[in-house]
Amino acid sequence: MKVFIDPPNSMILYDLVERFGHEPLSAMAAIQEKIDNIEVDMPPMNVSLDDVVKGLKYAGVEVPSGIRGRLAIWGPMIDEADAAIIMTDPPFNFGCVGCARSDEMVKYLIRRRGIPFVEVEYPHDETEAEATVGSIKDFLEGLQ
Amino acid sequence: MSESRETRLFMISPDSMVTPDQLVRLVHATGKAATVKETCYGCLVEGPRDKVREILAEVREKYPYEIFSKVRAYPCGDPRRCRAQHGTRPGYAQLEAEWETLPLIAHGLRNAEEDLPYELPEEKKQFPVDKFKKVCEASR
Amino acid sequence: MTIKIAQLSCGTEYSSVQYEIDKAARSVGAKVVYPDVSYEDIENAVRRFGFSPKSPQLKLMIARAVSLADQKYDADAVFITTCFRCAEAALVRNELRRFIQENTNLPVVTYSFTERLKAAQLLTRMEALVTIVTRKELLARERQTGLTAGLDSGSSTTKAVIMRDNKIIGKDWTPSGDVVKSAEQVLQNAMKEAGVEFKEIEAIGTTGYGRYTLGKHYNAKLVQEELTVNSKGAVWLADRQRGEATIIDIGGMDNKAITVRDGVPDNFTMGGVCAGASGRFLEMTSKRLKIEITDLGKFAEKGDWRNAKMNSYCSVFGIQDLVTSLGAGKSFEDVAAAACHSVAEQVYEQQLQEIDVRHPIIEVGGTSLISGLVKAVGEVLGEKPIVPPDSQFIGAVGGALLSSGFL
Repeated sequence: MKVFIDPPNSMILYDLVERFGHEPLSAMAAIQEKIDNIEVDMPPMNVSLDDVVKGLKYAGVEVPSGIRGRLAIWGPMIDEADAAIIMTDPPFNFGCVGCARSDEMVKYLIRRRGIPFVEVEYPHDETEAEATVGSIKDFLEGLQ
Repeated sequence: MSESRETRLFMISPDSMVTPDQLVRLVHATGKAATVKETCYGCLVEGPRDKVREILAEVREKYPYEIFSKVRAYPCGDPRRCRAQHGTRPGYAQLEAEWETLPLIAHGLRNAEEDLPYELPEEKKQFPVDKFKKVCEASR
Repeated sequence: MTIKIAQLSCGTEYSSVQYEIDKAARSVGAKVVYPDVSYEDIENAVRRFGFSPKSPQLKLMIARAVSLADQKYDADAVFITTCFRCAEAALVRNELRRFIQENTNLPVVTYSFTERLKAAQLLTRMEALVTIVTRKELLARERQTGLTAGLDSGSSTTKAVIMRDNKIIGKDWTPSGDVVKSAEQVLQNAMKEAGVEFKEIEAIGTTGYGRYTLGKHYNAKLVQEELTVNSKGAVWLADRQRGEATIIDIGGMDNKAITVRDGVPDNFTMGGVCAGASGRFLEMTSKRLKIEITDLGKFAEKGDWRNAKMNSYCSVFGIQDLVTSLGAGKSFEDVAAAACHSVAEQVYEQQLQEIDVRHPIIEVGGTSLISGLVKAVGEVLGEKPIVPPDSQFIGAVGGALLSSGFL
């Protein structure tokens, strides 16, 4: 099954979803598709102007362009996902997940779609790590 | 999704004794037609998707709790992404933070694979106002 | 030498503008770089800076700025840019601008972008950054020496100024036609007023869109973009060479606002494509009311805009409102004041929200001679702007001042 991961660029979540036999939907794969398919010498970084305009599906024109560009990548993945994993309060939120408002919107879009999702906490010690990985494993195994 | 190329980063957990050099040799030893680039955190592997996935399976089998992996959008050595060209991209700091957490994830994985029980963290409740008031009054 | 411009940004790669930024930098012989910071640096930098934004990318910007301040990373200039309309980013962008200026000697330019940003819009800024790096000593010049001329070949008017020993001794302007012919005309008249001959002039500085053509024609010592030249001219004219200021130039066709620190620009915004936010609105109003544009200013000074409310800033519908007000028996003074207030508000709505308005405000350009508009700008911004003498000659004065640095 296709599992959207949030943060969408997390290596830990990507790795775990694959290990437990599902297909992670990630920012990396979505951006790769754009890079490989744009037939120009020097494509714009990550998204094109058309993408930012497509982001209007998820947020109005009064919303900053960086949010619409991000939602243009994640929105369709959330639309396509069968399930999702949300990791709350990760200390690492840079790059494509660098905008706090976009990150909030992604969590909302997952809930609005009504697909099964699990919320796990970012672990700070071994007990928490057991709960985080254990919850992810149980959730993914339950998706069959 | 593009079927032609997969670029994948393999990251060695900070508590592992495996070196990037050993990891690169392991990838080469699989005999799959893929490009391997040694990095400070492990290596980057690039090639046809099926070959890269076969390499992933072999690496996971040998080092299930020491090496973690995800795909990368930009190909190896792409000047837009390459650190040597203009400094690091924002995602670098994130990878660094995730790298530090890998020993905990490995612990969680061992626990989960043995189907051991786990405790969900308790939700912290707010301190009741009347009790807080008493604390304030006591420290007056 | 390739100038290294450190980019501190949020959102560029998700607004499809990173390529345009790289392209603009390349076209002025510069290269965009990102100061390297580690995860640990980010936490420490945010704590030290004292502002902890919710968005991690803004934290990264802070860490990169701190690494520049600590000289851990080598760059020649700083470009700070974030998404337009993001409140959190706007706060961080401006505070980082201040931080860089207080803790480094690096020139900095800021910008808030939308997805429509094209490299051409950034060129003047990038060129200004490169100018500030390569001509640092020249820009520090606060006094004009010798006998020099400044030529400002603008899109609507061409101006010439002759200066000697830090004083303006001749000046003239004309509506722009042929670049060289217009310049010849104003230069001749300015020289006549100054009582000097061309061969006596020791250096010429050119600016404005015709600067390259004129630079070649007169073998000018200085050929420079208008952002740095106008800033120097404005602070010299207003005698505000030290500290911060905002320069507002409401032109006949467009309007510009430049923020400066010690006479060196660090942000700039330019509007256009709206007659309602330029002198054109006042020109059309005065024609419609059958009065001279300078009289419109005088009437406006005596009137109160609140008595003749307008429902639109538009040069078609807004002016119709004014005519209707007159028909309803409102005074000419109140209607003129409403017209000036409308332009000032529209400039504020369209442009000044993109920059941080700093004090004092120096109003320049042809429309600064319309007293009612200056009053209206003062009311909208809550502070009376300084209108220096010869305020329409900032570019030419800047050219004459800076070119004397080559003597």
